[in-house]
Amino acid sequence: MKLNTKINGKAFCLEIQPNATLMDVLRQAGMKSVKFGCGEGSCGSCAVMIDGRPRNSCITLAGCAEGAEILTVEGMGNPENPHVLQKAFVDTGSTQCGYCNPGSLIAAKALLDKNPNPTAEDVKDALDGNLCRCTGYVKRIDAVLQAAAESKKTTKSTRGKK
Amino acid sequence: MLKKLTQFYHPKTIEEACLFLGNKEQKTAIIAGGTSEALRQDNSIEALVDISQVKELAYINKDTAFFRIGAGTPVQDIYKSAALTGPSGNLLKTAAGKIGSTLLRNSITAGGNLAAIFPWSDMPLVYMALDAEIVCRKGKPKRTVPVQTIIDQKAPQFLDKAEIIAEIAIPCYGKGTGTSFAKLVKTANDYSMATVATRLSIKNGLIEQVRIAINAITASPVRCLEAEKMLTGQKPGAELLAAAAKKAADSLTIRKDFRASREYRKEVCEVMIRRALGEALEKAGK
Repeated sequence: MKLNTKINGKAFCLEIQPNATLMDVLRQAGMKSVKFGCGEGSCGSCAVMIDGRPRNSCITLAGCAEGAEILTVEGMGNPENPHVLQKAFVDTGSTQCGYCNPGSLIAAKALLDKNPNPTAEDVKDALDGNLCRCTGYVKRIDAVLQAAAESKKTTKSTRGKK
Repeated sequence: MLKKLTQFYHPKTIEEACLFLGNKEQKTAIIAGGTSEALRQDNSIEALVDISQVKELAYINKDTAFFRIGAGTPVQDIYKSAALTGPSGNLLKTAAGKIGSTLLRNSITAGGNLAAIFPWSDMPLVYMALDAEIVCRKGKPKRTVPVQTIIDQKAPQFLDKAEIIAEIAIPCYGKGTGTSFAKLVKTANDYSMATVATRLSIKNGLIEQVRIAINAITASPVRCLEAEKMLTGQKPGAELLAAAAKKAADSLTIRKDFRASREYRKEVCEVMIRRALGEALEKAGK
């Protein structure tokens, strides 16, 4: 079966098994940031953005992503040019083994896209589907709040320049 | 999982979706968020009709008497909706917010939760407590049925092959009505051990109407009709609510699993119903 979809802004036409999960298809397409954790939608390490909504790709059939726009961490930033959230996760020490980070980053980005001024409660609510067994949950709340403050600064300064 | 699946259909309208579903040559099934499909692991399905791109199924509106929620609306939208207000809106939002996690709520839909009912499903209870009406569409023709009909007959048996749940219409209750929702669960993301939704209306100091809907304690959602009858027309008080909660707990066929024994569930469900009724009563008085 053919799957036409946009991954990180690039159009893909992939040959897939009809019953393949989106997680498997994305990993086979080279998006290795998408992690297999529990495989039942509990841990959130496989989270990707589908048409702007963060969802568990391990229990989403790839066929349902026909025509969708998918965002994985590869589309957010890279080591040379990290996304403001990625930088904040590093700065606050919100990463140890790193396995949950891609999913958490996607969920955090979805929050900031909708709500640029989140409170700590909003962050807890938005990241409630992403388990992290290393850092605890405090550091990443700090990270998202820091990223929100940081991106406000940048938007202000670019506005000033214009 | 889905070993015989060969094809996906991606209709853009309800009529198109019904047309694909009615296909007699293939065993078709409907898929929206896909979370129940992942659990069901049905290996006889040959084609899936993906309704996630049907725009006319995703909305939350309000008209004079009803909140109208499209069946394809993710429950996350219900949870975050500013349009849902009053006792009905509160109950819908509270329950939707307690479903799994943000990631799951973005997949789970208002209609899907009713089409594939599990013991831990939260929204069917809420629809029952609020006396919701369900709009089913088979192409153009539509029929509106009380939610209880679908609960009793189970959606796959009740719906025709080419018919889908299109809308959940929820009456807007006003002043004098209180609602409450409670869920006993080991972690926010786990399957519920006991879920209770109630609605209670007060008129002239007496209980005019009451609904007690239960799930997770039982194998499928049920209303505690005897306890409701016992409360209706009475002057509310702590003793009456406690007696009703006991009657409700006694009337249930309680299931057990590794999360909790039958005895434990019975014990907590009585307490939960009593507190839920108390909370609804308090809100009704405000």
